[in-house]
Amino acid sequence: MGNIMGIRNPIIRIFFYLVLAVWSITVLYPLLWTLLDALKDNKQFYANPPWALPDLPLLWSNFSYVWETYNFGKYFTNSLIITLGSTLLGLVLSATTAYVLARYPFKGSNALFLLYISSMMVPFSLALIPLFFLMNKLNLINTSIGLILVYATTLIAFGVFVLVGFFKTLPKELEEAAAMDGASYFGTFFRVMLPLSQPGLVTVAIVNILNIWNEYFVGLVLINDPDHYTLPIGIAVMQAEMQYRTEWGPLFAGLFISIVPVLIMYIFFQRQIASGITAGAVK
Amino acid sequence: MTSRHWQRNIFILSFILPTLILYALFMVYPIIQALYYSLFDWSGSSENKDFIGLKNFVDLMHDPIMWQAIGNDYFLVAGKMIGIMVLATFFAVSLTRFRLKFALFFRSIFFIPNIISVVVIGVLWAFIYNPQIGFLNSILSLITGTEVKTAWLGFPFHTIWMLLPPSIWAGIGFYMILLIAAIQGIPESYYEASSLEGAGQWHQFTHITLPLIWEQIKVSVLNIMMTTLNGSFVIVMIMTNGGPDNSTQVMGSYLYQMAFQQYHFGYGAAIGVIILIMSLITTIALQRIMRQETVEMN
Repeated sequence: MGNIMGIRNPIIRIFFYLVLAVWSITVLYPLLWTLLDALKDNKQFYANPPWALPDLPLLWSNFSYVWETYNFGKYFTNSLIITLGSTLLGLVLSATTAYVLARYPFKGSNALFLLYISSMMVPFSLALIPLFFLMNKLNLINTSIGLILVYATTLIAFGVFVLVGFFKTLPKELEEAAAMDGASYFGTFFRVMLPLSQPGLVTVAIVNILNIWNEYFVGLVLINDPDHYTLPIGIAVMQAEMQYRTEWGPLFAGLFISIVPVLIMYIFFQRQIASGITAGAVK
Repeated sequence: MTSRHWQRNIFILSFILPTLILYALFMVYPIIQALYYSLFDWSGSSENKDFIGLKNFVDLMHDPIMWQAIGNDYFLVAGKMIGIMVLATFFAVSLTRFRLKFALFFRSIFFIPNIISVVVIGVLWAFIYNPQIGFLNSILSLITGTEVKTAWLGFPFHTIWMLLPPSIWAGIGFYMILLIAAIQGIPESYYEASSLEGAGQWHQFTHITLPLIWEQIKVSVLNIMMTTLNGSFVIVMIMTNGGPDNSTQVMGSYLYQMAFQQYHFGYGAAIGVIILIMSLITTIALQRIMRQETVEMN
């Protein structure tokens, strides 16, 4: 009975639309202006109000300038390798563990589950000081591998939490059927269970990709060689340099470069992100 | 022992162990080490590592910057809780119960800040606040007709307030999605029954929606507290670096400065321990405050 619900008073309806529209503008406007400001030169920044459209010809060269001179090309590649590497490793680690915890419980498996989940409650900044010295000892400072290992570890808690729930919902008959067909434990997992849990795996992967692509603090501590900067570190360093050499156009080009990949992912995977949020909220 | 049994054990071990080893090495061990480091006066090189017991914590108690940082942490926690929960609830109800058009479109838009790096958000908002070329001063100049050149991030007295809008702006989408899912889980028949009795939207909100999503509101409030105490230092470091004059320092940024810029690693570790204690105490306190009878759906 949809017609007895909702807001019927047209004035109140307009009021709500107005509030929603204003908030939409506060979200979309900065994004749009990041792109438009990326196409300006400094003179335009100082002479015109910030909402003025960029003068023609548009300064597309800001993009190539920040990509090469500020090394954003390198940062982009680093971010890509580290994000994909740690997401993949994190997925393997949490899926294998979650599968056993969900379907082959053993003495202590509950405690193990709690151990993983409890790290969501600990501020990771606490661990960073010892982690820095540990990585130093292992010669993993300023390496992609080091960052991938640490990031993958931080992804375990969320992955295990979501995937245990997912593996538990798969019907037991499938396992039995696979065993009857003579499949080994490994075969059952890789050929039957893993393909079936694809929606859960995709959700976890998407949420993790977004988190790692945007991560700043762990990278800041474990990376101090510009050759290994990720995009967030590169942006922060570039912003700090703005005190000495103001290059606003290129700075905005850099911001835009870092936003575009996650924006594209968001457009395609909205549903998975939303289900990741609802699945990940600790109940 | 059958061979199938052995196969099973080997399978379980090979699936559990790699994760456990990495987890122990990169998560559990560093956390325990941090507790240990907090008992030392240590500049980072192994020769200069003096055991000083709880002296770091005693010093911290007398450190005015730490109290400033704790105050700021809780200011941000309180400000974000109020700002985010009020707006997220408002949006969640508007986009579900009110049968408005374009609800899905608005919902997609509102979540966008959550997918952007806090670093980017910090740089964007620092630009909005920029005294010479920022949006805020330009708009104020336009409205007032005089040239406004306020350095919004330049005054110890109010700069911490300026960090609230970006933090709230960036956080709403996540909690809105959470509450929308909760509201959509409420059976339509509850609303229909109350409509027949003549209940209006506000009455339905306070008597049906709010009690039935209270559990998710609790989760959200706890989550805001955790993410703020553990993570708000990133936006602080990007926008103000704790300044001016330590007025926007939070515990996380102070930890970073003490350890990785001034090489007081023991002191920094002690700050980390205090953050942990703050998180635990606040979690327990919030759970007690919010321990209201949760209405069960049946």
